[in-house]
Amino acid sequence: MQSSFDFQYIIELMPILLKYLGVTMEMALWGFVFALILALGLALVRVFKITFVQHLASLYISFFRGTPLLVQLFLLYYGFPQFMPIFVGMDAFTAAIIGLSLHFSAYMAESIRAAILGIDKSQMEACLSLGMTRLQAMKRVILPQASRVATPSLMNYFIDMIKSTSLAFTLGVVEIMAKAQMEASSSFKFFESFLAVAVVYWVVVIIFTRIQHLLEYKLNKAY
Amino acid sequence: MNVFFKKALVALVAATSLLTVPAFAQETVKVGMSGRYFPFTFSKSDVLQGFEVDVWNEVAKRADYKVEFVTSSFSGLFGMLEAGHIDTIANQITITEARTAKYAFSIPYVIDGVQVTVRKGRDDIQGVEDLKGKKVAVNLGSNFEQVLRKIDTNNEINIVTYDTGIEQDVALGRADAFVMDRVSSAQLIKKAGLPLQLAGKPFEKIENAMPFLNKPSQLIIRDKVNTALEAMRADGKLAEISNKWFDTDITQ
Repeated sequence: MQSSFDFQYIIELMPILLKYLGVTMEMALWGFVFALILALGLALVRVFKITFVQHLASLYISFFRGTPLLVQLFLLYYGFPQFMPIFVGMDAFTAAIIGLSLHFSAYMAESIRAAILGIDKSQMEACLSLGMTRLQAMKRVILPQASRVATPSLMNYFIDMIKSTSLAFTLGVVEIMAKAQMEASSSFKFFESFLAVAVVYWVVVIIFTRIQHLLEYKLNKAY
Repeated sequence: MNVFFKKALVALVAATSLLTVPAFAQETVKVGMSGRYFPFTFSKSDVLQGFEVDVWNEVAKRADYKVEFVTSSFSGLFGMLEAGHIDTIANQITITEARTAKYAFSIPYVIDGVQVTVRKGRDDIQGVEDLKGKKVAVNLGSNFEQVLRKIDTNNEINIVTYDTGIEQDVALGRADAFVMDRVSSAQLIKKAGLPLQLAGKPFEKIENAMPFLNKPSQLIIRDKVNTALEAMRADGKLAEISNKWFDTDITQ
C-alpha cells in the first residue's frame, strides 16, 4: 500500500488512548487483588489437603486453566444472564474484573502452592514443635519466605493480566484497545493506531517490570 | 480492615441512593453499537458519532427517552441484547427470517443492497457470479456471510470471516473481494483513500431495522421508536440525516 506513515496521527491519538488507560489499569489492578486473594485460598486448601474442599479446588483450577479466558468472559456476561436474571444487573466492567480474577487465580494458585511446597518441610516441623498451630506457622514462617519465591511468577501473571484486559471490549468495556480500534475505523490508519496502543502497553509493562525488580530487591535483602 | 469495612458501607449507601431515583425521571434506553462501522457508528477524536447516533438522538428526543450508547465489538451485541444488558441494537441490523423469528423489529429505517468490492483495477470481478474460487472477506457475525452461502450452493466461494479490517486486506490483495452493503462500501472507498472499487451492481435488497426482545416491556419501547421513526420519515428528518452522512437518501 502506498499510504505513508503518519507520525502526527500517533501524537494526536496518544492523549485519547491515555484517557482510557485508567480503565485498563483499574481492571488489571482490581483483577489482580481479587485473584491473589482467591489464589492464596486455593493454594492453602490444596497444601493443607482439606478433605473434600481440596477436590473442589482442583476442579476449579482444572476448569479455569482448561478453558480460554474469552470463553469464560462470554459465559459470565452473555451466558449466565439467560438463566439467572440476577446476572443481568452486572455491568461489563464488573464482569471483566470477575472473569480476569477467576481465570488468573487458577494459575496463580499453582505458583503460590509451588512456592509453599518449595520451603523445606523441616521448618513446619520446627514451628509445630514450638507449639504453633499449622496456620500460625504458615502465616509467620512459611508464607513470608514463599512470597519471595512466588513474586517473579506472580508479577508475570499480572503483566499477562494487563494485556488480557484488551478482551474486555468483547463485553462492551471501552478501554485503550477498544478506543484504538474505534478511532482506526474512522481514520483508517490501522498501523498507526495499533502501533500507538502497542507502545502504551509496552511502556506500562516496562514500568511494572521496574517495580518488580525493586520489590525483589527488598524481599531478597535478608538473603 | 475496619477502614475497608467503613468504605464498603459508604459505597453501599451510595449505591442504594442511586437505585431509588425518583420515578418521574426520564427513562433511559440503552442502545448497543459497535463503534467500528464507518460512517454508521464510529469514534473520531474520542467522540462517538455517525448515522446511527444521529438517528437515535432524534428518536430519543421525540419519544422522550434518555439514550445511552453502549459500544461493544459486533460479535458481542446480540449476546448483550439477549442477556438484557441493552434494549436494542443500532448497527445496520438486517431483517432476516431467523432474526424475525426471535426478535421484534422496528420498522426498517435503511434500505440498501449487498455489494461486492475489490481492489482497484481488478476488473475480472464484476459481481457475485465472478466470486467462484475467490477469497472473499466478510465481517464476523454479520449476515453477509449467510447471504453469500445462500448463493454459493456448491461451496465454490472461499468465504473468510474477519473481526476487523476487511477493507485493509482487500486493498493489500490478501483477499480478492469483500462483501458489505452498498452504502458503506461506497463511503469507505471515498473516505479511506484505499485503492478499492465497487464491482458491479448491488444484489439482494436488504432492510435494516432495530431488534428488540419479544417481551411486553420491550415492545412498548419498540412501538414508541416506530412512532418516532414514522414521524421522522414523514417530515424529512430521516432523509436529512442520511444526506448528511451519505450524500444520498438511503432510508427510502
